[in-house]
Amino acid sequence: MRRPTGVEDLLRSHAPQVLGALVRRYGHFDLAEDSVQEALLAAAQQWPEQGLPDNPRGWLIKVASRRLTEALRSDEARRRREETVAQLTPRDAFTAPAPGESRAPSEDDTLTLLFLCCHPELTAAAQIALTLRAVGGLTTAEIARAHLVPEATMAQRISRAKQKVKGVPFRQPVTEDRDQRLAAVLQVLYLIFNEGYTATSGRDLHRADLAREAIRLTRAVRRLLPTEGAVTGLLALMLLTDARSAARTGPHGELIPLDEQDRGRWDPQAITEGSALVEEALSQGPAGAYQLQAAIAALHDEAARADDTDWPQILALYDILVRRAPEPMAELGRAVAVAMVHGPEAGLAEVAKLEDRLAGHHRLDAVRAHLLEKAGDTEGARAAYRLAAQRTLSVPETRYLQMRAARLLP
Amino acid sequence: MKYLVMIQGTQADYEAMRGEASANAPAWSEKDLQAMFAFMGAVNNDLSESGELVDGNGLAEPAQTRFVGAGKDGRPVITDGPYSETKELLAGYWVLDCESLDRVTEIAARVALCPVPEGTPDYPVIIRPILDSGGDV
Repeated sequence: MRRPTGVEDLLRSHAPQVLGALVRRYGHFDLAEDSVQEALLAAAQQWPEQGLPDNPRGWLIKVASRRLTEALRSDEARRRREETVAQLTPRDAFTAPAPGESRAPSEDDTLTLLFLCCHPELTAAAQIALTLRAVGGLTTAEIARAHLVPEATMAQRISRAKQKVKGVPFRQPVTEDRDQRLAAVLQVLYLIFNEGYTATSGRDLHRADLAREAIRLTRAVRRLLPTEGAVTGLLALMLLTDARSAARTGPHGELIPLDEQDRGRWDPQAITEGSALVEEALSQGPAGAYQLQAAIAALHDEAARADDTDWPQILALYDILVRRAPEPMAELGRAVAVAMVHGPEAGLAEVAKLEDRLAGHHRLDAVRAHLLEKAGDTEGARAAYRLAAQRTLSVPETRYLQMRAARLLP
Repeated sequence: MKYLVMIQGTQADYEAMRGEASANAPAWSEKDLQAMFAFMGAVNNDLSESGELVDGNGLAEPAQTRFVGAGKDGRPVITDGPYSETKELLAGYWVLDCESLDRVTEIAARVALCPVPEGTPDYPVIIRPILDSGGDV
């Protein structure tokens, strides 16, 4: 993915609103989406040469509308449908102004689009792809590259997803559904972030853009829902995690654990912003999983040295987290905190309790290896590192774990 | 034209990289691992920069392999390995878009020089031209 230029940023920020205007007026999510992509492409080619139009969004809506009506007319059956729709639609139902007219930013459309893209009928993979394409304004090629799949595969996934949501009315979910649907939207944004964040090495560098994109979209959701604690918490969690990304890998793509990272390479601006958001999120009602994880991340980020980390506080937060959202990975995190507060043996006892639920998972072996190393059981630690290295399929993790095992060689 | 460039390894080689030595494969030290990562990283960077790298990946160890065959009753027959300890298998590959067989041979010769611990077996780097990409074979 190229570095976004001014025009690209502009296009991405307009894309969801242009698409929203078209879907609202014409329906036909799939055709509208194609038309918007064509309009964005035309703009990307023309604007840098001819200068920006006075009203970029109006320009995009006008061009996309033209493409869409052309597409509709090209097919006899489609034309009939178009006429029927036009007759059935009362004039004031055209909430979007005529193409080219300037209008106040219709931010609601972004959220409605997000809800549509994260429709429960779709698989997680389809939700992610559709969100990146329709709300993020990424091209199919960019999304395919970030997911390391051929472009044709991704095109197929997106077009199948569009087919599925074709008949879904373009409006926000009704109140009783809303919380659940918002949770799905946040989950998709978090998945996009993690896909970008976990791949950090070498030629997978472009996936870092996915993390940036997830942060941008979450910011947009927060602008629309500023008092939703989960949204604020998720944005804080992303910023506080992403702040450490520069220090997370070594020169050859191997992972560097938190306590060995060069904290001078962490992003102080992101930490400041994230920490402020955590405080705000915790004041916005009962803390859910995102708020608590963000609070834990903030405690790590705020420690000037690894030894300064406030482990008792982190353990207290993990205690609440595993009670509210019992999830084995959270419990594994808690086991580490237990070890840091009460010693490696206590941590190992917690790890042992997770044996069944995380059987065969390399992260369990990796945590056990660390705790055995701390407890002075070199031989046991080496065996556990080896087992973890054998089980992970991630190159940076394999390297890190191999190196850890090699470091303990007699 | 495109070429598949392959490197080989055995289960024992993978285990050696995790620090488990065996008869033909001495354990890798942290320094050995660093040297290999640096070497492969440099190769990949150069291939990316020259625009010749289409794709490339390391493969997980042979023990994680799965065989899928067609059973007589129409149901697939799925088995794990096993591979014997000494049998070398595909360990990693590059798909390269190179000007000529000479050029890709030059690249393979460089890959063959990857530093490994003393006593590690030598495997040749294999070049297979990819059909249907035009040009000379």
